[in-house]
Amino acid sequence: MGETINFIVKDKSFEKFAMMMLLGTTADAMDTKTNFFFTFWGLKLLTKKFKPKVAGMPFPMKGMAAGMFKKKMATFGIEDPWGMIKDAVENGNMKLFPCQMTMDLMGIKREDLIDIVEEPVGAATFLEMSEGGKIVSL
Amino acid sequence: MADKTLNAIGKKCPMPVLMTKKELKNMSSGQTLELVVDDKGALKDVPALISKTGDSILETKEGENQITFMIKKA
Repeated sequence: MGETINFIVKDKSFEKFAMMMLLGTTADAMDTKTNFFFTFWGLKLLTKKFKPKVAGMPFPMKGMAAGMFKKKMATFGIEDPWGMIKDAVENGNMKLFPCQMTMDLMGIKREDLIDIVEEPVGAATFLEMSEGGKIVSL
Repeated sequence: MADKTLNAIGKKCPMPVLMTKKELKNMSSGQTLELVVDDKGALKDVPALISKTGDSILETKEGENQITFMIKKA
């Protein structure tokens, strides 16, 4: 018990979403706490009804590829990614922090974000939170 | 015989780990869980999970198409 890993999520791609989901939920199973700080385009992942697209695919296939990956991952047993994240958040091990400055910059309001996020924080809060710990940028 | 059996055939990373943790949560101390998987990654991932949860792996059997773990809840 006791270890915390802090992640910065700065992109809105399906890949970054999947990494966040897999690492956060697995860490929860391993009793490791994770803080995810969503900044710049990464914050889009926390907005309601947002559908991430696959960054690694060429232009016309980005959205379709996300659907294909989702279907394939469901056959692996990953059927409800947001449900898995919700469980990890409710267990108290995974925390999703919206970046306050990004919200102001992009005109995103608290009510535009999904329900399970923490109160928005600024850079100083994130740095203080992760002081002495690990920080990983996704 | 194990107290409980968990079939994670067909499930891939990280599902065997998440399913194992969920199952162990509902078991009592000293009970054993037999976990059957076919994801090769689980060979390293399940011991990594168990080293964190403080439970123990009594036995690991590697078959041609599947791996069987016997886990004892701490």
